[in-house]
Amino acid sequence: MIGPVLDGSPSKACGCALEFNVEDGNFLTDDFLRQLINVGEVDILVGLPTHNNAKTIRSIVQTIQNGLLRSFPRERAVIINADGGSRDGTPELVTAISIHDARPTPNPYALRTLHSISTKYASNPDGGVAFRTILAAAELLRAKACIVMSPESTNIESEWVSKLLRPISYDGFDLVTPTYRRPKFEGLLMTNLLYPMIRALYGVRIREAHAPEFGFSGRLGSQFLNQNGWNDGTVGIGTELRFTLAAITGRYRVCQSFLGEKSQAERRSADLVPALRQTVGALFSALEPGFSFWSRVTGSQPVLTTGPDQEMLLERVRINRKRLREMFSIGVAELESVYQSILAPATLAELQRIAHLREEEFRYSAELWVRTAYEFAAAYQKSVINRDHIIQAFAPLFRGRVFTFLVENRNSSMNDVEDNIEGLCVEFERLKPYLLQLWKSKE
Amino acid sequence: MPLNRDALWYKDATIYQVHVRTFYDSNGDGIGDFQGLEQKLDYLQELGISAIWLMPFFPSPLRDDGYDIADYNSVHASYGTLEDFCKLLKSAHDRGIRIIIEMVLNHTSDQHPWFQESRSSQNHPRRDWYVWSDTDTGYKGTRIIFLDTETSNWAWDPTSKSFYWHRFFSHQPDLNYDNPAVREQMWNVMKFWLEMGVDGFRLDAVPYLVEREGTSCENLPETHNILKELRLKLDEQFSGRMLLAEANQWPADLRQYFADGDEFHMAFHFPLMPRMFMGLKLEDRKPITEILQQTPEIPPSCQWSLFLRNHDELTLEMVTDMERDYMYDMYAENKTMRLNLGIRRRLAPLLDNDRRRIELMNGMLMSLPGTPIIYYGDEIGMGDNISLGDRNGVRTPMQWSGDGNGGFSNADPEHLYAPLIQNPVYGYPAVNVASQRESGHSLFRWTQRIITVRRSTAVFGRGSIEFLYPANHRILAYLRRLSNEAVLVVNNLSSTAQAVELDLRRYKGNILIEMFGNNIFPRVGDLPYLLTMGPYQFYWFRLRRV
Repeated sequence: MIGPVLDGSPSKACGCALEFNVEDGNFLTDDFLRQLINVGEVDILVGLPTHNNAKTIRSIVQTIQNGLLRSFPRERAVIINADGGSRDGTPELVTAISIHDARPTPNPYALRTLHSISTKYASNPDGGVAFRTILAAAELLRAKACIVMSPESTNIESEWVSKLLRPISYDGFDLVTPTYRRPKFEGLLMTNLLYPMIRALYGVRIREAHAPEFGFSGRLGSQFLNQNGWNDGTVGIGTELRFTLAAITGRYRVCQSFLGEKSQAERRSADLVPALRQTVGALFSALEPGFSFWSRVTGSQPVLTTGPDQEMLLERVRINRKRLREMFSIGVAELESVYQSILAPATLAELQRIAHLREEEFRYSAELWVRTAYEFAAAYQKSVINRDHIIQAFAPLFRGRVFTFLVENRNSSMNDVEDNIEGLCVEFERLKPYLLQLWKSKE
Repeated sequence: MPLNRDALWYKDATIYQVHVRTFYDSNGDGIGDFQGLEQKLDYLQELGISAIWLMPFFPSPLRDDGYDIADYNSVHASYGTLEDFCKLLKSAHDRGIRIIIEMVLNHTSDQHPWFQESRSSQNHPRRDWYVWSDTDTGYKGTRIIFLDTETSNWAWDPTSKSFYWHRFFSHQPDLNYDNPAVREQMWNVMKFWLEMGVDGFRLDAVPYLVEREGTSCENLPETHNILKELRLKLDEQFSGRMLLAEANQWPADLRQYFADGDEFHMAFHFPLMPRMFMGLKLEDRKPITEILQQTPEIPPSCQWSLFLRNHDELTLEMVTDMERDYMYDMYAENKTMRLNLGIRRRLAPLLDNDRRRIELMNGMLMSLPGTPIIYYGDEIGMGDNISLGDRNGVRTPMQWSGDGNGGFSNADPEHLYAPLIQNPVYGYPAVNVASQRESGHSLFRWTQRIITVRRSTAVFGRGSIEFLYPANHRILAYLRRLSNEAVLVVNNLSSTAQAVELDLRRYKGNILIEMFGNNIFPRVGDLPYLLTMGPYQFYWFRLRRV
């Protein structure tokens, strides 16, 4: 069975299998608190959410250590591993790499102790809980600058630490999002939806609003920790993206830093629907509380970027285009009743029309795509059907749009691809009044 | 009070370092003297110290504060006479205080008659008492110590038209220890003072006695052989006397100066001192524990000599470049505070005159393995004067009272050997012995108290050390043990209050008795022993079964 069958279990959308006691507000274990007491106040905190990353974690932690020792040798720093129930010894590997005097490992660059500590926050991984744990630790330790690093970034370089921390430590920024060198057909959800839509709505041109690596100030972390609705059932959904949006709406200073190439290991295509829940779901759910902010924004502004805004590799990536279009067509046919409750009749009719076109004639235009996205956002807001079903129903349409993007840019240069994305961004900005109209019609 | 006759007296000692010139002027000429020092022995006895280390007091042109000796068998006229010195020695001994004097073996002043004779002719019998060369290319691998003033270890002598070797200032030519006559003569010098009754020597610059091509000319086996020869003669003829090595070296190199207990009795632990300051500023015990982990065991009869500050700059030779940069930025932001590879400041200004930090540093000084040395004036928190050149800023007159010249001298101020500290924070009206004697909570009274507590047990001077490594890296905790006695020392290096859990399970059933107030703390059980500590606080606990 492919694509368009809606999964009826809402627990997958939340995934917040919390083991801590949320009733009394305590969610850090006593053991973790004891470790934090021993670490004490820090200048820099590195958060490392993990789950069964034993194969890569040692080299990643060592690279982070090198980055800290080289670029911030005098600062008090800690590496905090929030582990989602690894069974491969990941936490033990992290803590074993601590730099301290009880187990001397001569390092001429280590002026001071560099703790690597670990806590198991749950028996199942949950990015939201992991991030909350990291934020709580950062607040307790009064960390001034923090970064979160992905345990799957196998090509992480020690310079990444500096690139993400320096703007916070030395230049007064509150959020540093990364930009990468990517193959042109990677990160399609980012280039075809998240980047242009966030840019149009919030007026800020952030390329990677949902990044596995990012830096933030202690004050932004504290604000998010204490104002985010951690217990409202959305704790595990797109926390990184909501964090970025919180920084924007809170008018914190945001910048981007170019990190370089992303590793192959991270290019594994994840299941689309969970990815949509984490990103599109998070974006849609953030629109209502952020309405007073984004409804007043017109146009968009670039953010300060250290290094290139974006770099693309022209290497070929194998994508089964035919299958994408098939999944689109099947979805449009099988989910017609669902789409009737989400989409405007004209939009649905146009989608049904192109679903019957031959492959060489098929084109999911930018305008149609933007209207689709905005209508889904409004429907999500109205909760016309179960919100998770709305997100699942979005998947076939996204595949159709991706098909068109691949076809349009098959032989394009890096600049051509960038022009194409820019055109889409402009379309999102142009049609923003349409979203506002949909929003008001709801009211 | 009679002298303690224990041959290992130096292990239990608390040493007070002072320059005669700086302490008290008895004759109103503006310069401290032996009679003045003798008059202040009651003060030192009251403080509780058990030995005085006197800096060089020999005839000298004083181009290096007396470390440029022109006559080894006399005293500088400014300080009095040999008779005055003998009187001081006797008075000190009567109070149970030993006297250790400086002996500069490595070099003399260029004004010393030996050098004058040596340079006078290539054929003079004393020509080979110094290290001469036709070129300045020898011993290339040898570092220059006084980087700020010297560009080479060779200096040209226009008289004899050749180069002479010097490891320090160019007016301090190195003696040639390959010459047996030199070795014999220097033993005779030491014997001269030992026969007078001095209790020990602080032997200056000992790593540099012998030069060999292709080496660093430091710590050479030949040098150690010479030092062992001196020690042998000392033990044979003057039992109970002590040799203290000044060797600014890494622990492994320092260890050689103890040999098999047949070279030096004591040696300064130079690498530890800057790391104590570093650990305090970093609020992290790592620099301290790491250097002590690297410190080898020493023979039972030997002892480390520990200090916080002395007459020289806070030397940063025995740290990495990165550590040195950190120390400079943290403790000598003003570049005039820097000298050679070090920082020319006193203890109190280094610690921002923070009483808690001063106490903590002294607490560590008194409880880590070794014999503590207190630099004169630090017991009352004297400041420094960095506008004075070289290291003279930390060698200003002792501040005895708020009276004229700080009670140091009756001379007109312009006749003093150096101006007194007069700024509002550290000046003699604010910081002086008289006022601190009046206050039960002054730094002087506190120093007196900690010396008394240290002297209440031999464990600090003779016991073993075992670090506890609590997970809180801001806490430096160790156990000092000597036979059945055990003392737990816990230091909070942080500027903030800290909680720490100590693994004391091996001492289950013991109670802890805090040694300053003799208060009882809870009995040790199976669980980690939890202590909460205020900023820069330290505890000394005696462990006891009851």
